[in-house]
Formats: sequence, structure tokens, C-alpha cells
Amino acid sequence: MCVKMTTRNRLNKERERMSDLDDLRREILYAMLPHVAFDGWTRKALNAGARDAGQTPEAAEHAFIRGLNQVAEFYSADADAAMCRALEEKGVGELPIRQRIALAVRTRLEQAAPHREAIRHLMSYLALPGAGLTGARCTLRTVDAMWYAAGDTSTDFNYYTKRGLLAAVYGATVLYWLNDASDDCEATWAFLDRRIADVMQVPKFQGQIAKIAERFPSPLRLREAFTARRSRNFT
Amino acid sequence: MSSKPSLKRLRRMPGDPSREDMVARMIRVDQAGEYGAKRIYAGQLAVLGRTKDGPVLKEMADVEQRHLDTFNDLMVRRHVRPTMLQPFWHVAGFALGAGTALLGREAAMACTVAVEEVIEEHYAHQAARLAHEDEPELKEVVETFGAEEAEHRETALAHDAREAPGYEPLTAAIKAGSRLAIWLSERF
Repeated sequence: MCVKMTTRNRLNKERERMSDLDDLRREILYAMLPHVAFDGWTRKALNAGARDAGQTPEAAEHAFIRGLNQVAEFYSADADAAMCRALEEKGVGELPIRQRIALAVRTRLEQAAPHREAIRHLMSYLALPGAGLTGARCTLRTVDAMWYAAGDTSTDFNYYTKRGLLAAVYGATVLYWLNDASDDCEATWAFLDRRIADVMQVPKFQGQIAKIAERFPSPLRLREAFTARRSRNFT
Repeated sequence: MSSKPSLKRLRRMPGDPSREDMVARMIRVDQAGEYGAKRIYAGQLAVLGRTKDGPVLKEMADVEQRHLDTFNDLMVRRHVRPTMLQPFWHVAGFALGAGTALLGREAAMACTVAVEEVIEEHYAHQAARLAHEDEPELKEVVETFGAEEAEHRETALAHDAREAPGYEPLTAAIKAGSRLAIWLSERF
């Protein structure tokens, strides 16, 4: 009992400290984003953001100990969480699956609209070798959050195919959105619908393959034929 | 693993996976294990389903399905990704079950003994690690399931598992394979 209590206390303290640090991170990050549009995803922008938030560059260093990659990851995770909250408020559970996903991508991008220029710079930063796999990791976490928000309960390999397909759709849509000059990004939402329609072709294609496969003999049927013959011999 | 690891000293150390990571790994490997077990019984049932051992196997397969449902549910609720090797376990589990069943009913039971023994050990190990964490739900699941897997082992022993041809090398090979499967499923 005693051991359990101390474990729980320790965990609670750890959580408190983490959420304090997250608040600091959020403050610095959102002060940094306007600077990114001019300075790129750089230390300079980060320090300028810290200054605007009333913090020192050392505080920024402390908050993002792994540097600019961590800032990118934190931004992505924070935006994912905001998207999930918004989706819940919009009652995403009542829509058909296809619309849930479309709504998730749309919500994510609409929330990011004020920072579109910053995201353009962030994308070019993530393409550099120094960012390593940060970009891929962020994308996967984002599509993961989208599928969970859409109520996905797959626990088999579909888990990966679903996320893979959505990652392709989402990535393409983000690139289109960055260069979309139409009113309210209407062109982007049309693009998104077309991409989702493309993905919907995949199960149809799978069905065709299954139909072709049915025409071939199954190895299990050989066994049935064998056992049938054997029992005939005995009678 | 000739000597059993001491179960008392399993507190997490610096450099070990974080608590979230550790729990995620546990749920992932347990779900994979129950999935594999379900496939093994499916393989055995495909061969022995209509013999006198059919009902016993069916009963054990039903328990594994219940375990799998529990972990599927945990996995979705806790946002844990399933193992990427699942398509492989799908085939390998069935092949192991059907393969041993084709060697005879005793060999099928020996396979059950070997697999359940490793799983039981694995659950005991997890329960010992969870003793230091604030995870009452998972701990209870792991402990209950460990006891049920031990029952399966006893059932299989009561159904002449020891009379299988080459009982010792057969179970040793299956145990080694199961441990490798556990190691892989935790990570990938």
C-alpha cells in the first residue's frame, strides 16, 4: 500500500511538472509562429518567439531541449489535440466514416490557416536531412489521431493500411492547400474529396482480385478429396 | 533461459522504456500472443476438429478468443498500435497448429503445453513488472489470463501431451519460437 501511494504521488508530481512545461512550450511556440514566416523554422525565430512571450532564450532552450525538431513535433501534437477536441464538439461520431475523415483533414487545415506561411517554412525545414524522420513521425501521429477521432477500432494489419492511405491523402492535400488561392480554400476541399474518392477505389480493386482468386483451386480442397477417397476405400 | 529470472527486481531502471512505452509494449505483445494462440487452435481444429479432442480444443480456442477481445478493446482504448508482424503470425500460428496436429493428437497437445508454458511465464513476468506501476486494470487482466493459460497447459498434459513423439525436442523448439515471437512483437 505504502509503495503504491508513493508511486502514485511520484507520477502525479511528474505529470504536473510536464503540464507546466507544456504550457511554457505552447506559449513560446505560438509566439514563434509569426516570426517563422520571415525567419524560417530557425533558432532565430524561436528566440524571437521566446522574447515575445516574455521569456529568455534560455527558457526556450529548456522547453525544447532537443531543438527545432522537438518544436516541430510539439506543434504537430498540439494541433492534433486541438483537432480532436474540435471534432468531438462537431459530433463527428454521427457522420459516415468517409465524411468523418474528410472533416478531420478539413478541421486540421482550417485550424492551421492562420499559420499557413509558417507551415510552408516548416515543410521545407522538415525536408532537410537535419530533421531526420521528424516529418514522417509527425504525419503518422496526425493521421493516427484522425483515425482514432473517427472511431477506428482496427487491431489488425488494417490499422497500418488505413493510416498509410490517409497519410498519402493528407500529405497531398497539405501541399495543395499551401498553394491554394481560392476563397475559403474551396479548391482544397474539392481536391480532398477527389483524393478520398481515389482511396475508395482500393476495396473495389481488392474485391476484383478476390473474385479472380476464387477461380483457382484451393489447396485445402485437395485434402478434402483425399479424405473422401480414403473413407470410400474403407467401406 | 535455464534459470528463471528473479521476479522481485523488475522495477523500471533509467534507460528502460518509459511507463507509457512499457504499457504499450505489453498490450501490443499480449494482443499478438492471443492472436497467435487463436490461430494455433484454429490450425489444430482444422485437422482434429472432428475427432474426440475437438470439443476440448474448441473450448480452449473460445477462451483465447475472449482474451483476444479483451486486448483488442484495451488496444483501442489506450491507443496502442498492433504489431506489424500480424500477417506473419496469422500464417505461422495456423501452420504451427495444423503442423503439430498432423503429427498426431499427442503432438498437438505437446504444442499447447509448450506455448502455454511460455505465455504463462510471460504473464507472470509482466505482472511482476506491473507491481511497481499504477496500472490496476492491466495487472488484473494479466494475472487472470496467466492463470487461465496455466489451466490450458494442465488440460493438454491430461490429454497425453507427454506421449508425443520427441516430446522434449518438440516442446523446446516451440518454446524457443514462442519466445522469439514475444521479443519481436514487443518491438515491431
